[in-house]
Amino acid sequence: MPNPKRILIVDDEPDIRTYLSTLLGDQGYETLQAKDGEEAMQKVQAGPPDLITLDISMPEKSGIRFFREMKTDDRWKHIPIIIVTGVSEDFKKFISSRHQVPAPEGFVSKPINQEEIMNLVHSLIK
Amino acid sequence: MIDNPYKNYFEMMPAYLTILDRDLRIVEANERFRQDFGDCEGRYCFQINQHRSERCEHCPAERTFRDGLPHGIEEKFINHLGNEIFLLIYTTAITNEAGEIIHVMKMATDITEIKLLQNQIRDSRERYRQLFEEVPCYISIQDSDLRIVEANRRLREDFGALPGAKCHQTYMHRTEPCVPCIVKQTFGDGQIHQSEEVMTSQKGDHVNVLVYTAPVRNAEGQIKNVIEMGTNITQIRQLQSQLTSLGLIISSISHGIKGLLTSLDGGVYLVNTGLAKNDRARFEQGWKMVERNITRIRRMVLDLLYYAKDRVPDLERIPALAVAEEVCEVMRGKAAEIGIDFRWEIDRNPGDFEADSKAIRSLLVNLVENAIDACRVDKKKNAHQVRIGLKGYPEYIEFEVEDNGIGMDQETRERAFTLFFSSKRGSGTGLGLFISNKIAQAHGGEIKIESELNKGTRMIVKLPRKPPTTGTKAPNV
Repeated sequence: MPNPKRILIVDDEPDIRTYLSTLLGDQGYETLQAKDGEEAMQKVQAGPPDLITLDISMPEKSGIRFFREMKTDDRWKHIPIIIVTGVSEDFKKFISSRHQVPAPEGFVSKPINQEEIMNLVHSLIK
Repeated sequence: MIDNPYKNYFEMMPAYLTILDRDLRIVEANERFRQDFGDCEGRYCFQINQHRSERCEHCPAERTFRDGLPHGIEEKFINHLGNEIFLLIYTTAITNEAGEIIHVMKMATDITEIKLLQNQIRDSRERYRQLFEEVPCYISIQDSDLRIVEANRRLREDFGALPGAKCHQTYMHRTEPCVPCIVKQTFGDGQIHQSEEVMTSQKGDHVNVLVYTAPVRNAEGQIKNVIEMGTNITQIRQLQSQLTSLGLIISSISHGIKGLLTSLDGGVYLVNTGLAKNDRARFEQGWKMVERNITRIRRMVLDLLYYAKDRVPDLERIPALAVAEEVCEVMRGKAAEIGIDFRWEIDRNPGDFEADSKAIRSLLVNLVENAIDACRVDKKKNAHQVRIGLKGYPEYIEFEVEDNGIGMDQETRERAFTLFFSSKRGSGTGLGLFISNKIAQAHGGEIKIESELNKGTRMIVKLPRKPPTTGTKAPNV
């Protein structure tokens, strides 16, 4: 059996991390967790994942800062990032309108539709 | 009496000229006088001019007879047509060769038109002055040094604006002029300028003012002063800020609810898959998630209801010790979960007080939750403590919640009780401390904040043993 794909789940809410970790784990993915942008960056540096799910509003280093750092670093910018957030749809437009940083590969609104996120994850790390 | 050629001048003078003897009889009158007052030689001056039987009180002719000096007076007369006229009267002595005063010449000029004009000017000045003083705006006239030359009543009352004081010192409590300064701009280009300022009144209140400036020019068209007119728009700005806050709270609540629903979905997923896989550990973990998030949703809904309802505290006599112990019991577990050292220093015999037990419990829980959150996000210290204190005083009960978490800066401290203000970014609703403060106030008590950034926070809640009857209604709580 080939090595399972690794997904890093970044969210400040432990229950949401547990949820996504169990859900993705049930689909055969290996999962890592980080509670904020800072911890997420440490995990990426320790061993880059194949995909990241990222919450936006977190008390410490925000998702936006982490996203910008990832997408402007040649070592990591190829890693697909799915934004998972309760912030309104307007945010999607905002982040897509910024020319300096590419748009995120995926965008999922909370509360999460399981089928939607699974399809997105499968399509991004075939 | 008067010899030619002076007689001719006397007759033709465009003024009323009369020659009076010591009895104030008219010895001679010129043509203009005769025209308007009739033929009156030999009659008394005061009979003709004033239709009086007695001498006038301040008769200038009499004074000239007395001291030989010219005298002047302004008087109101009724002419032969019955019209009121104003005359400017001058008297001068006519002496004989021996230097004795034998007659007095009285010259009266009709100044009725000038007088009417003067009255009109005075009335209209008075009207403008009244308008300037009483208009419900702030008006000042300033010179090019930005000194207040004149200030209207409202400006003087609200800002203590005194002539000679500098504009920026008076309204803004600044030592330097504002940048940009619209008074300077108007002095520079002669145009009307507008800006919105937040001024500080004498009482220290912040007043939002919409200000306009316009040039005041002299007869040569040069700008001598600038008039500054301000309208108090504080109420409009407050309303706007409340509406903005309402928008923010809706978005904040919606964000919070979405997060809670996701966590709840997660719990349900773990419960369902735990059952399906016969995995008890997963089932139990999921069930805990469900329970936890139902509690959080309940609290959020109750907070919102608290805010939405006009609530009167349901007062009963309650033991302070029981309230404190109950709160400690509930919160101890939560603190332990994230490794916070939870202590309490409780007066074992604080006595009873009259309060709404549910409201006081939620006030204290809210303060303890804030303390735990302040420790949770603090990365600068290795060990964190939350301490609950309780002391009974003769007149009041004092609860204390202290933490060594992130602490608050001055702005956060000052705005801590403001509705919808949250320093917790996405995870706060800005309701908790607002409601806690309202609960304390509704009980006739207060919450004090002592806090320092990066050091920690101490919240002190003082509640009277018996709330004053007037303080039992909680406004908007």
